[in-house]
Amino acid sequence: MDKIYNDFFGDFGGRYVAEVLRPALDELQDEWVDAMNSKDFRSELDLMLTRFAGRPTPLMYAENATRVLGGAKVFIKLEGLSNTGAHKINNVLGQALLAKRMGKRRIIAETGAGQHGVATASVCAKLGLECTVYMGEVDIKRQRPNVFWMELYGAKVVPVSGGQATLKDAVNEALRDWAGSFKDTHYLLGSALGPSPYPDMVREFQSVIGKEVQREIEQQKLDVEALVACVGGGSNAIGFFHPFIDTENPRLIGAEAGGKGKGVGEHASRMSGEGKLGIVHGYKSLFLLDEDGQVQPTHSISAGLDYPGIGPQLANLGIKGRVEFTRVMDSEALEAVQFFAKHEGLVFALEPAHAGAAAMKLAGELPQDKSIIVNMSGRGEKDLFILARSLDRQKWYSFLRSEVKGNEK
Amino acid sequence: MKNRIMAHMVAFYPSREKSLETARALIDGGCTYLEVQFPFSDPTADGPYIQEACKQALEKGFKISGGFELIGDIRTFSNIPIFIMCYANTIFYYGIEQFLECCVSGQVQGLIVPDLPVDYDEGLFEKSECRGLEPVPVIAQSTKPDRLDMILKGRSEFVYAAIRKGITGSFTDIGEENIQFLTKVDSFGKKILAGFGISEKHQIEAISSWIHAAVVGTAFIKEIIHSGKASIYNVIKKKIQSLI
Ligand SMILES: Cc1ncc(COP(=O)(O)O)c(C=O)c1O
Repeated sequence: MDKIYNDFFGDFGGRYVAEVLRPALDELQDEWVDAMNSKDFRSELDLMLTRFAGRPTPLMYAENATRVLGGAKVFIKLEGLSNTGAHKINNVLGQALLAKRMGKRRIIAETGAGQHGVATASVCAKLGLECTVYMGEVDIKRQRPNVFWMELYGAKVVPVSGGQATLKDAVNEALRDWAGSFKDTHYLLGSALGPSPYPDMVREFQSVIGKEVQREIEQQKLDVEALVACVGGGSNAIGFFHPFIDTENPRLIGAEAGGKGKGVGEHASRMSGEGKLGIVHGYKSLFLLDEDGQVQPTHSISAGLDYPGIGPQLANLGIKGRVEFTRVMDSEALEAVQFFAKHEGLVFALEPAHAGAAAMKLAGELPQDKSIIVNMSGRGEKDLFILARSLDRQKWYSFLRSEVKGNEK
Repeated sequence: MKNRIMAHMVAFYPSREKSLETARALIDGGCTYLEVQFPFSDPTADGPYIQEACKQALEKGFKISGGFELIGDIRTFSNIPIFIMCYANTIFYYGIEQFLECCVSGQVQGLIVPDLPVDYDEGLFEKSECRGLEPVPVIAQSTKPDRLDMILKGRSEFVYAAIRKGITGSFTDIGEENIQFLTKVDSFGKKILAGFGISEKHQIEAISSWIHAAVVGTAFIKEIIHSGKASIYNVIKKKIQSLI
């Protein structure tokens, strides 16, 4: 697939938006395609990716983990080392520079885990853009540290109480803002979903992950059996997989949130679960829907995977069998965080911990001369409160109590 | 001349029975058209009042089948032309053809589905027209001239014009920009249903020479919220009478 703008991927994708938003998306498509053909734009973006985001990120051989797992060599792509702690910044830099080029002065964004919001707030501070981030009230509670960072960068964080008060509702609210503000505002969507051209645009900006990995594979002559990524909306996965989509190998594996179980509202597995064809948030894809087409509640321990839909290109690749999907439970993700912390000195964010858990299972089943690469899309500092509460409850709570008491004096 | 109103209501808000009462009040109060919104979990084109109404309606057990039954109940006492407003997923997931068949049986006149625009409509326009239903395209002030041509060259008798940027519910001051827009749309010879932010008679009067009917929705929901102990029938009927 060489075209950068596709609109549809098989049955999935499209631009199902009310007419008010149409001019904004039409303009975005034209301006983005134009920018991608501009040498100046690309070199400005490359420079920012290097000097501000800290690219390229390392591909690390997880030697200890490999030994313990006793199978294929495990490599980890350390996206979490980029500025602001996750892959999100690749897309944010691309879109923010594009917004500047289009003469927009204000940026709006949705965020779930807060990583996309933090990256957006940071880049807006750097580029001198006004920034408003919509975030569900439930997510604000579980990812409080990221709210603090966004506000420190000067962004306005608007709590969203509608619906389930999570990521999908933050998307709704951002779309509503944009419908009235697009003249001077760019909606910086954080995953490879939404109405076209977002799925194409976000993939292209995230494909830097896969391109770096591809170079390393060639240089180190690795025999790679599989690439493993977590899939919320799908931006880290599609960017990581991108250079390999049209080849037969390696296997491409997406880890979805298995949550607490298979019941309604207990997980967010669209591909390895029961996603149904629908049209939500401006695109056609597989969503978790009830029998009347209402969007169902979801759950994941990781706010970033807690979303009822999947990006259209990944849905298509899943249906075609090019990408395999697997579900990883909350508890397995927590185990993976501890495993890689102890053996590799790395704290995975809870989202990529799902990919880590899937890789742990797979590595043991493969021979030692094969390699698998896990995308650690983010690092885990943002999850301190969730991890500490889950793993070391008593000490953590007594610390919190003493912190509150100490400050009241 | 009296103002024509397309009165918007959310099926099953604030409950099934009270939404039937709302419909009765709107009809008795003199609306020309009834627009019945089928609630959706993610109403991206709606402001806070309609969002909340949709959320409550779903909690009250709204189902698509129940929506059509409600319309059936309205039909027992009125022949008012009814339009269903819903989001793409409601009709798409149900099956467009099946949904349209239910519209035909329920003597629904037409459909307003904002996120199925003419070029991403999943066949809605053609499939509706061949069943004698009116699919109503929605246009906005921001719609570019060539696109306006493309949308309005279709056969539809009506066009729904959103006269403010953004979403439903906030107040629209009728100004020069609105008038220019309506004049342009009027040249296509369609019946213009103009809405988004209309709650007062003076707004309707400012645009009444360009439009066929004014769409009023959020204003009625506010009446329901503030009705307290008063009967919903009375407050709604009084409100619509004040607009006509
Ligand atoms: C670190 C990290 N990884 C993954 C995701 C999931 O998003 P996506 O599937 O778009 O990569 C998020 C979302 O917030 C995230 O913060």
